[in-house]
Amino acid sequence: MVGSPVLFIAIPLLAAFLIPLLGFVWKESVRILPGLVLLYLLYLSLTLMEQVVHTGTIVEVIAGWAPPWGINLVFSPLTGLLTTLMILMGFIIWIYSYRFKNIDFQEAVKYFILLLMLITGSVGIVLTGDIFNQFVFIEITSISAYALTAFYKGRDSAEASFKYLMIGSLSSMFLLLAIALIYSQLGTLNMADIAAKAHLMKPEFKILALIFFITGLGIEAEIFPLNGWAPDAYAQAPGPIGAAFSGIVVKAGVYAMIRVMFTLFDVAGTHQFLIVIGIITLIIAEMSAVRQEHLKRMLAYSSIGQMGLVIVAFGIGTEEGVFAALFLMLNHAIIKSLLFLSGSYLVYHSTGKYISEVDGIARNLPITSFLFALGSIAIVGMPPFAGFWSKWSMLTAAAHSNLILIIGLVLSVSLIELVYYFRVLNRIYFFPKKKEVVVKKPTINALLAMGLLGLLILIIGFYPDSVTGYLHAASQSLLDKGKYIHDVLSTGQLLLP
Amino acid sequence: MIYILFSILLGGAILTFLANKISGLLRDTFFLLTMLGATLIFYTQLHIGGLVNFSIGSFNLEWGVNSFSWYFSLIVLGLGTLAAFYALSYMKGKENLGFFYFSFLISILSMLGIVMSHDLISFFIFWEMMTWSSYFMVIYSGKNVQKNGINYILFSAFGAYAMLTAIALVYANIHSLSIVEMISNYGQFSPALQTWIPILFLMAFSVKAAMMPLHVWAPGAYSDSPMAYTSVFSGALSKMGIYGMILIFVTMISHLPDDTWFREVFAWLGAITAIMGTLWAIAQDDARKLLAYSSVAQLGYIITGVAIGTDLAMLSALFLAALHALFKGTLFMAVGAVERQTGTVKFSEVTGLIRKMPWTFIASLLAIIALAGIPPLGGFVGKWMLYESLINSNHYILVIAIFFASTSAFLYCYKFLFGFFLGQEEKEWAHVKEAPALMVVPMLLMAGFLVILGTFPGILLKPADTAMQTLGFAPTEGHLWSMSVLFNAWGDQVLLRPLVYAIAGIFLFFLIILTVKGWKNTRYVTTKDISSSGEVPLEHENLTFSVNFYQPFLRAVGPVMKHRMITWYREFGAGMETIFDFTRRIYTGNGQTYAIYVMVFLVIILLLQNTIFG
Amino acid sequence: MEFKLFDLSIVEYAFFVTSVLIILIGLYAALVKKTLIKIVIGLSILDAGINLLLISIGYLKAGTAPIFSPALVKNMPLTLENIKKLSEGMVDPVPQALVLTAIVIGFGVTAVALSLVIRLYRHHHTLNIDEIKNLKW
Repeated sequence: MVGSPVLFIAIPLLAAFLIPLLGFVWKESVRILPGLVLLYLLYLSLTLMEQVVHTGTIVEVIAGWAPPWGINLVFSPLTGLLTTLMILMGFIIWIYSYRFKNIDFQEAVKYFILLLMLITGSVGIVLTGDIFNQFVFIEITSISAYALTAFYKGRDSAEASFKYLMIGSLSSMFLLLAIALIYSQLGTLNMADIAAKAHLMKPEFKILALIFFITGLGIEAEIFPLNGWAPDAYAQAPGPIGAAFSGIVVKAGVYAMIRVMFTLFDVAGTHQFLIVIGIITLIIAEMSAVRQEHLKRMLAYSSIGQMGLVIVAFGIGTEEGVFAALFLMLNHAIIKSLLFLSGSYLVYHSTGKYISEVDGIARNLPITSFLFALGSIAIVGMPPFAGFWSKWSMLTAAAHSNLILIIGLVLSVSLIELVYYFRVLNRIYFFPKKKEVVVKKPTINALLAMGLLGLLILIIGFYPDSVTGYLHAASQSLLDKGKYIHDVLSTGQLLLP
Repeated sequence: MIYILFSILLGGAILTFLANKISGLLRDTFFLLTMLGATLIFYTQLHIGGLVNFSIGSFNLEWGVNSFSWYFSLIVLGLGTLAAFYALSYMKGKENLGFFYFSFLISILSMLGIVMSHDLISFFIFWEMMTWSSYFMVIYSGKNVQKNGINYILFSAFGAYAMLTAIALVYANIHSLSIVEMISNYGQFSPALQTWIPILFLMAFSVKAAMMPLHVWAPGAYSDSPMAYTSVFSGALSKMGIYGMILIFVTMISHLPDDTWFREVFAWLGAITAIMGTLWAIAQDDARKLLAYSSVAQLGYIITGVAIGTDLAMLSALFLAALHALFKGTLFMAVGAVERQTGTVKFSEVTGLIRKMPWTFIASLLAIIALAGIPPLGGFVGKWMLYESLINSNHYILVIAIFFASTSAFLYCYKFLFGFFLGQEEKEWAHVKEAPALMVVPMLLMAGFLVILGTFPGILLKPADTAMQTLGFAPTEGHLWSMSVLFNAWGDQVLLRPLVYAIAGIFLFFLIILTVKGWKNTRYVTTKDISSSGEVPLEHENLTFSVNFYQPFLRAVGPVMKHRMITWYREFGAGMETIFDFTRRIYTGNGQTYAIYVMVFLVIILLLQNTIFG
Repeated sequence: MEFKLFDLSIVEYAFFVTSVLIILIGLYAALVKKTLIKIVIGLSILDAGINLLLISIGYLKAGTAPIFSPALVKNMPLTLENIKKLSEGMVDPVPQALVLTAIVIGFGVTAVALSLVIRLYRHHHTLNIDEIKNLKW
């Protein structure tokens, strides 16, 4: 084994606390260290992923306390896939923000600490096998997200952050209530153990706990009507953090919610519920995006809508559906990050981030505009780019389950999506440029980051086989509840005296 | 070989795009070489019946050529190559040429891809590539992008999504994406699917073929693209809709137990499209718009032919499809030539170009004759066959409708010729010269081909016939000429030709005699050199009236034209936007409201828990 | 260990009722009060209520500390049965650990919230949440 899953949490946490110390010695290390850490973790997650797909889940027991008593980390194909995705996104965001805006040393220290904490928290949410531990990671992620949202002092960012914090506190309240309910009933916090014993719970408590979980995690997963904070936070956070929200944080939220609904409880009707709530989220978000005047807010609504789509795909519940959902998550992370990264250069100096300010900017920023256009075309699902394959697998999954109405709704909403993305593209390329708009040329590392994402879109678009194998393994691992329980609890058996 | 063909086009497109940064000449060379190379390979190396296979994303993709797709590739590549030459000269000096040539080549590639796809997924991918590459053309000029561009992409996407739904349904039912398997398993689908799959497919194809009520994107999109591309757009790209329709009608609709109503509805939709397209074409002052509406109308005839679906009707549809590519290609090129030389395309502004641009005039004249269906040019043959097939299948009212549309088409044909070329010469246009040879020659070539087709329709009818055999029609090769009364009345082909030669000879003879005789007596006068009722008109008096050209006629048909599809769509769109604007007010901006949403959500789920998780 | 929510003694019942009441008070403050400071206070009260609820799960009447001290073990062999017997009178330690963590988290959130309130006051010169609506729709 090249390394253990615990490194995914230990190393970035350690690095986050080392950053200010090393900063005293050598200032540049503040910017370099996170990149090195993320690069190593990327290598680690890729090798572990390869190993896991072939040999099976790795369960890491922390501090010798075997499950169900201690905390354990589960690196299954599913969690491994999401971890790899998050680390990759984190790495690209690091490349991008290496010299993003001329922030001074103190600010850079804060920024990179928070970014590392955000990634650690999200990876932790995905990797952990303990429900309370997951709560802690959610809080780590949330607190660093509040702080990052409020990162710029000049904007209305404090307002966005405060709203986020209010709703986030409610989220943690519901999570704690749900955990309290489960613990009072089953006396265990281990997810596999809960899953194995879920039938022992009184049904009314089980459903109550599930509802608390849905509400608490739904806030993180941005389902309607729990997502009021999201557009504000996305729009006010620095550009790369917007990308991190849509590429990392939401993914963790959705994972947590799906894990609870698919693995922890076996309650009838969850799938239908997911479909309904996903469709509502999708429709409301896309409808809100059309008349949006702010570019990043529009992207935020689009992001929420895409998460709705992911939830619908999970709600289909078949292996194909889960595959489609994971594929959608993967593509959404890549494409929406590209849109946020390139979009934030399109409205770099503007305080209002109005869509009208991108008029004719393609002449000044040809590459950034091109990448933004690529992202837009990919996200509405036009072949031969990445978005098409995920949309296609989603549609076939729905067709297989005879959910024709879903297909109709999803595609009608895609038409709405198409309209507002193409309106922006037309503005970028064909409208006369406004004189008062000051253009900022992207830095080399920003271009590199965006180029990498664009390349990923093309690779997945032209050769989807490069990822589908992992996605299939991941979707099987999510649906095979028995195997998950067995994998985790059998580790405990081995260690018992 | 298909690989090579596609890689040449794709590689050429990318190289052309990149070469634009280096030098214009290099770019043009790459562009021409790519087009010529593709055409050359297509004609010399491609075998009918060849298939290639490969898999991607666990789908088995299959590309191949059969006679049916060969026929449509012929239209695409023939028109594409000529338009490419034309484009070199037409686009000279414009901006973003790399982008233009890139989109041009990609759209040619995707059209070839569509007809050569033997599986649904690559069909769809090429279909979407065609959509966005042509969308780039629509928005190329940068005018009306927010209106016409969005209209086009929205309607195309609507069609594409309908098709995607159909493909997903097919895949869910037979676990295969092969078109052949879809067709052979069609009988086993449930009755609901048997109806809905073809309807969904036809929705997609009607959008591209600009059939009512999905045509509203067409006038804007056709007239906004650069004319060098519009000739391909209207001539070849819209034929992809026809290609798909033929496929669906032959393989699916004809197996439906009650296909008659289906065919009737479609035939009538085609006819109504033809009538309304014609009427709107007559009302236009912008030549591009006129031709755009005319394209809509012409495709209406073809759709009617496809929908009727008898041997003769299908043959006429295929024939007209190729013919329409020829004459509409020529006409759009002619408009492009006028636009380039004068800077405007309004009939009310340009007049009397006949002496300034004689070759353009001749090409337009021939194309117009073919379009109007006047013998002895090719258009007549196609239209005749269509009428005959309609009469043979007892669609008398339909014949009247089509005939009405066809005769009304004379009005806009004349308007086109008169508006640009005839009429009074204005000083404003005195400096206008004939378009460059690169633009004139493709037009003349196509016009010449139209003349040849009038006499030797077999050149096109034979491949059309083989194409139909691929689709499962009985071979008519041997008695091709007896299929239509047209050929019977004139005897078979052996007798027809001497007759035509004789007529042409006599015509030429008198032409020469008259020319030689009148040569010396010819006196050149200005257009003002006339006497009307003994009055000599003054310099400032206008003798030609291109404004309100057909006012009485338009007044007569006014009630029909009062209701425009596009206003309905616009009102629908405006209504939707109001709803959207209302929806986003859910996000009030008040953090407390959001928190209350959370609690309301919780309460609702708690109350409904028995319904949801029961 | 079997925990039941509704066959409880009066004391245990009182714990639950109190904690739910505290939660409701906190919610009221967070959802209805218009001043940012009061909202933050409400959120803290909410936290306290939940912590109380968590603690009360592990509550045992006259329970002992969950420590296997030598005095308690008294040279008994540490077999599973013996451990079970010994632990019967002990309070469940896990909820306490959870509450400790939750308190720390709550503290962190409150600190961030208060610093945000300061920023908001500087930016908007008001603490009324209804007037802080620059970001909407």
